[in-house]
Amino acid sequence: MHYPWWYVPHLTAPMLIAVVSVVHVLVSHYAVGGGLFLAVETGHAYRTRDREYLDYLHGHAAFFILLTVVFGAITGVGIWWTIGLSSPLATETLIRTFVFGWATEWVFFVIELVSAFIFLYYWGRLSENKHIAIGWIYATAAWISLVLITGITAFMLNSGRWAMDPAAQNFWSAFFNPQFIPQTVARTGGALLLGSLYVYLHTSIFIRGERLRNLIASRSARPALLGAIMIATGGVAWYLFLPEAAQATLVSSAVMNVFTGVLLSSTLVVLVMIILGPYLNPGWLSPGFAGLLCLFGVAAFAAGEFVREAIRKPYVIHNVVLSNQVLPEQVAELQKNGYLNGGVWPRAFIAERFPQVTADDRIDNKILLELPSKDRILVGEVIYQHHCNDCHAARLGYSAVGPLLQNRSREQVLATVLHLNDNYSMPPWCGTKEEAELLADYLTTIMLPRPAGIRPWEKSGSDSANEESGGKK
Amino acid sequence: MDPSTLVEQAVSGVPAPIWFVQFFKVLGFTLHAMPMSLWYAGLLIALVLHLRGNEHGRRFGGRLLQQMPVIVAIGVNLGIVPLLFVQTAYYKVFYPATILMAWPWLAIIALLIPAYYGIYLYAWGLKNGEKLARLRVVAGWCAAAMFIVIGFIFANGMSLMGHVDRWVELWSDNSVAGAASGTALNIGDATLWPRWLLMFGLALQTTAAWLLFDAEWLGGMAAVPAAAKQLDDNYRRWAWGFAKKLYTVGLIWFAAAGSWYVFGSWTPELRESMFAWPLVLLAVLPAIAPGLSWLLVCFGGRTKAIALLAFLAQFCVLAVNALSRQFVQNLNLKPYWDVYSLPEDIQWGPLAMFLIVFVIGLGVIGWMVAQIRKCDSA
Repeated sequence: MHYPWWYVPHLTAPMLIAVVSVVHVLVSHYAVGGGLFLAVETGHAYRTRDREYLDYLHGHAAFFILLTVVFGAITGVGIWWTIGLSSPLATETLIRTFVFGWATEWVFFVIELVSAFIFLYYWGRLSENKHIAIGWIYATAAWISLVLITGITAFMLNSGRWAMDPAAQNFWSAFFNPQFIPQTVARTGGALLLGSLYVYLHTSIFIRGERLRNLIASRSARPALLGAIMIATGGVAWYLFLPEAAQATLVSSAVMNVFTGVLLSSTLVVLVMIILGPYLNPGWLSPGFAGLLCLFGVAAFAAGEFVREAIRKPYVIHNVVLSNQVLPEQVAELQKNGYLNGGVWPRAFIAERFPQVTADDRIDNKILLELPSKDRILVGEVIYQHHCNDCHAARLGYSAVGPLLQNRSREQVLATVLHLNDNYSMPPWCGTKEEAELLADYLTTIMLPRPAGIRPWEKSGSDSANEESGGKK
Repeated sequence: MDPSTLVEQAVSGVPAPIWFVQFFKVLGFTLHAMPMSLWYAGLLIALVLHLRGNEHGRRFGGRLLQQMPVIVAIGVNLGIVPLLFVQTAYYKVFYPATILMAWPWLAIIALLIPAYYGIYLYAWGLKNGEKLARLRVVAGWCAAAMFIVIGFIFANGMSLMGHVDRWVELWSDNSVAGAASGTALNIGDATLWPRWLLMFGLALQTTAAWLLFDAEWLGGMAAVPAAAKQLDDNYRRWAWGFAKKLYTVGLIWFAAAGSWYVFGSWTPELRESMFAWPLVLLAVLPAIAPGLSWLLVCFGGRTKAIALLAFLAQFCVLAVNALSRQFVQNLNLKPYWDVYSLPEDIQWGPLAMFLIVFVIGLGVIGWMVAQIRKCDSA
């Protein structure tokens, strides 16, 4: 409401963030873990005078740059693009809080870039020690950038004292939030593990010789196993330091149950496969085995990222910005004076379209109710777009309102709107009673009917009464 | 509708001094504009020369195309700086403008990825010195086209951010129940076209300056494959001749687009402000700076020092242009978003951390560059 709302039919704009960020994370962790792999293994290959391994690492460095410097870097910028478009108030808040965190991270990006290119393009020209040193500069810069961005994303999940104590509203308290260490440990582990999975896939496709393939398989198993241990340790700490509401969501939401199940089971499968495969039987590393391993790894990462995004509700930044782009300190005022009056863009739209409801630069909520039915529905749709579309598509799509409200009476819809926060994962209703009426008018137009084809059952007295009131408790 | 009602005034403090934000915004944009010019206009020229040029033209085209993956990576990276600082102090105008044109704005990312891979396809095809496969040639041309489209979308976004008065019409034409459909483009804005073309003129000049710098200073770089490594005197002579012609074309282009921009698209109020002392300096300097740089390229003499000076001079040309347009942006926005009146809530500790890391980072990069310089000279 502070900014124009971007309507993305069926998907909702914030889901674009989930799509872009999941894709990015799959490459950005490899940018860290793969960098460490190159630094360590190039040193090993130089020490053991293994020319064949060095040639392979040279090729792997080219693949690494093609994937991380192009796709990884651009999708990273893409996340920024998408959050600014889909969640501008949260982005504004994050930038204001962390601008120098991001600026510092940028310095490490530049170091990463320069060192990565030198590492590849000066292969065989730099002395061995200098070459290894450049590799380590890359690996260190990449890990520090992981740490810096984790401080910011972790703040979104648990802002700690920051939101509750005005004295704590500074960069350091925001950065060193309760989720910082758990997520840093887990993400570092994730980078090690994912780095090894990419290495396995690349190795299994491009290396024909058994000696080298077995060598890489067994050497990369150790960081992968270490990564798995760090993911498990960080994951437990992550759960323990979650806000209580996020823990509750994780337990109570069926979707979260499924995704958590995918996360845990995929991680376990990856762990078992690494122990049985590359660690104990390096000869098992075929393209099929590596592909399957990668697939489970990707499933675990994607599920983990989705869970991390979804359990923040009703906030997009924990205790700081609600998922419908409202600040918690504004809720009371919006409930008193009206959502439309508090929102810059919806107010301008209504004032332009229905000048008769505006007096002294304020929208009169009571007059809104006197509008003809068609216009009431339009005003309701305006409220839906700005208040609800952050998380809910309309009739069809991601968490669509139509099916969610299926077959409810208008009164039931109105009651749901007025008591949104009875479900703790929903934000509070941020408008007046009149605005809730208008929203209910609109929602009943997109609500789906009760599906046909359900065999009727014998009704007891209480069932009949229930059906008469709309079929829902 | 009064467009000023669409810009909510800030209540929270900016975490850095406004001058600091503007300094890094302008510096970051200038640093970004150097490599950006090379993929904006330079790529097109390199492709033409590589396919249709004489022996030296093909050589330059090949060199620039092989350098392009690094140039794009560095350019994109440097673009983060202005993007970060524009969101620090101009967020109330930056977000609405980009949301109104969200799909084209997001398309920048969707175009940038294949464009970048197209560059790699072309550049890595040149490694063996064999004839390029048709796919690689097509990929190179597609990449050049995509970069030009990206430039056009950027010009749209930045011009829309600076012209709040355009928002009402675009919002009204591209919305669903008051929510932006994100399909707007600011093509009705008088400043858009000259602004876009002006950048192309500057990009031609930057390509010319890069040609000289590359010929005189990067001739023996080990990163460039052996076939194109040691540059002979004939090539250098050609490079100077071509750079003079290219810079001249860029200068004329810039003069035409710049005149259109200033006299054909600025409002009378803006012209009055920019032509009054002391801002007149920022109206005149960007106009004459390319001319001074042109004099250096054409009449400075064919030496390594002049090539370096021309390159640095081009950086200054881009810098004064960026600085001037920063003031123009501030003046355009003043009725809606007066950046100088924003409250400040400076984060001194994190600011110091950034500056310290920045200096250390420069040191680390300097050390790495010194290693490859030693390697090249060996």
